[in-house]
Amino acid sequence: MPDKSGVSRRDLFQIIGSVPAIAAVTGSEAAAATPKAGPYKRQTFDDHQWRTVRVLCDLIIPADERSPGATEAGVPEFLDDWIAFRTEQEGNQNLRAEILGGLMWLDHESQKLSQKDFADASEAQQKQILDRIAYPKRAAKEDQPGASFFSELRILVVGGFFSSKVGVADLPYLGNVAVMEWKGCDPKVWTIIEERMKNGYKGILEAKPWGA
Amino acid sequence: MAQVKATPKTYDVVIVGSGAGGGVAAHVLALAGAKICMLEAGDMFDCTKQSKMFEWPYQVPHRGAGTKEKPWGAFDATTLGGWQVPGEPYTLAPGSEWMWWRARMLGGRTNHYGRISLRMGPYDFKPYSRDGKGFDWPITYDDLAPYYDKAEELIGVFGSQEGLENTPDGKFQPAPAPRGYERLIKAASDKLKIPCIPSRLAILTRPLNGRPACHYCAQCGRSCGVNANFNSPGVHIFPAMKTGNLELRTNAMVREVLVGNDGLATGVSYVDKKTRREVEVRGKIVVLAASCCESARLLLNSKSSQFPNGLANSSGLVGRYVMDTVGSAVSGFLPILQDLPPQNEDGVGGMHLYMPWWLYKEQMANKMPFARGYHIEIGGGRSVPNAGTLGGYADRWLGGGYGVELKQNLRKLYGCDVHFSGRGEMIPNEDSYCEIDPHVVDQWGIPVLRFHFKWSQDEILQAKHMQETFKEIIETMGGIVTHSSGQDKDWGIARGGQIIHEVGATKMGDNPKTSVLNQYSQAWDVKNLFITDAAPFVSNADKNPTLTISALGWRTSDYIADQVKKLNLKV
Repeated sequence: MPDKSGVSRRDLFQIIGSVPAIAAVTGSEAAAATPKAGPYKRQTFDDHQWRTVRVLCDLIIPADERSPGATEAGVPEFLDDWIAFRTEQEGNQNLRAEILGGLMWLDHESQKLSQKDFADASEAQQKQILDRIAYPKRAAKEDQPGASFFSELRILVVGGFFSSKVGVADLPYLGNVAVMEWKGCDPKVWTIIEERMKNGYKGILEAKPWGA
Repeated sequence: MAQVKATPKTYDVVIVGSGAGGGVAAHVLALAGAKICMLEAGDMFDCTKQSKMFEWPYQVPHRGAGTKEKPWGAFDATTLGGWQVPGEPYTLAPGSEWMWWRARMLGGRTNHYGRISLRMGPYDFKPYSRDGKGFDWPITYDDLAPYYDKAEELIGVFGSQEGLENTPDGKFQPAPAPRGYERLIKAASDKLKIPCIPSRLAILTRPLNGRPACHYCAQCGRSCGVNANFNSPGVHIFPAMKTGNLELRTNAMVREVLVGNDGLATGVSYVDKKTRREVEVRGKIVVLAASCCESARLLLNSKSSQFPNGLANSSGLVGRYVMDTVGSAVSGFLPILQDLPPQNEDGVGGMHLYMPWWLYKEQMANKMPFARGYHIEIGGGRSVPNAGTLGGYADRWLGGGYGVELKQNLRKLYGCDVHFSGRGEMIPNEDSYCEIDPHVVDQWGIPVLRFHFKWSQDEILQAKHMQETFKEIIETMGGIVTHSSGQDKDWGIARGGQIIHEVGATKMGDNPKTSVLNQYSQAWDVKNLFITDAAPFVSNADKNPTLTISALGWRTSDYIADQVKKLNLKV
């Protein structure tokens, strides 16, 4: 219904529809690290590193019933671009060295275990190595460099995945859209929160009851 | 020296700057019939054409992360500017830390600011009388209240009527309902007896003057593609241009205010950045609104035989008493929010609730170790994912891991973060000021500013109180503090300038010896020279400055129009 200023909600959505940005949202571009057309051009990883990184990405974030894995979400491209970007912005090679060095550490350990590079080893052999470094507090002293590398890589893979188009839908993040009427917190969600305030909640981390 | 090109026309008013202060002066005076020339050092900007609203981080390079050129990310409205402006340096005195955010674009910082719109209260105008520190303003709350009304009604501010001490209510549109985590914070605040009320932001929840209401995409900082939030071009400048009375010149970097033999301002000279030529523009009245420190710089650089220490500086106080806001932050993680049914928590571009200062009585009773208050700003929830989303959570909350189990656990932890930021009052001091650096010029040949800055114990102890309070709120919610600062880091107090609330530098007052401007922001020494940015501020209450800039600028503009009518000023 038009108000005295003459802008109705319908008009609003016509106005929003005319904003150029909306065109980009409805484009077919999906998960690539950058929106540029054409195949992605690597800036950081060579062919061997690329193969290793793709294997690692899907080991860290595999496909499950809700969404595809990290490689399908474009995370290897994100990583390649991100490392080059940080290197340029920070004017040092620290991140690049940590990730590329970590990939070599993996190959070295994999050779000792199976006489194969990490990417060529069996999934069981790959997981045998990851199990040594994926839980920093449990890692053996001699595996600490591998654990530091893996924590750094996991931060990037997780962030790259959940900020991709696939990851946004996985969470799901339901915003970045025009809302006709803002109603605040969903009453059903608030009921759950109130119940937890009263009785506590045992999730991954425990929430204690609030008490009086 | 480049050839000086003079514009033959003499305008009624020349306005330097197009942000909140220049915008309101242009709007009021153009509607009053004055012929105006507005000069902006940056480029044209029209948010209805240039907003990055609705774009996704995955659609742009590096997921839109901040860079040296765009420190607040690819979508930030600031087209040119930031902590550094290419070719326009500033310097720091030894031992001083200061950060200076400048936006070189039409509308200045109103394009990306937080839209927080708080009135200063009665105490805030008379702080010296209250606790013996700093200075009193030459005006009272009642002098400015009618202009707060006008400003709120034009720009559109939502809020609620609360009747709290020194927290004046205003002409508000209805406030948006709180998000889930905000209701939780309110419950904790109620327990701790900290008032938690609807925030007051210059974002429309109802249509106003042809501008539609907000569509709740939470991205005001990108600038709004439909003008549903306040920004100077969309609300002040473009409507003023429709009168035919306002001429806008962009890429015009003003060098100095020109003065005639009678000691009155005759206009300004500026560098046309496109041609690198000097241009003079003549005006019967000059209004500076270049941002507080830029306006001081302009006066200090406007030296002549009549004004050897810079213009309007017989008091020697131009550049003195620069203030910023005290900032300190704590973040936490709330296990109670794990694995909730997903919902859209965007809302407006900012908090829906906030906590105004609540310990006035304790301060009056000398029970607090610092003078002056702060308010609390909150954030959190299921915000738009970027390259940092959930990144460190495996190490921090899950002990590490990989695979399907990691993926499924991470989902459950999304949206559990909360953030608390204090925004408190800084008391003006003798060690915080700007002056001309005698050795450095910018790429236009204009001498640059050198900053001196120091926090006092009042500010540092206020930051300590912020840290302790925010931790207490998080713990009351059963949360875990994830980021906080201790004494070794001065309680996390932000650097001077970092909160981007710099005010002062040409204080107003009732005595020409102890102030630069009178209560109408009119220079004591040059009666046709006015300042309508934050430079006239005498104190910097915890109420973010933009709304007060708008109200003060409006009052000054009304005064100019009135003086012209009474022929005290010639137009």
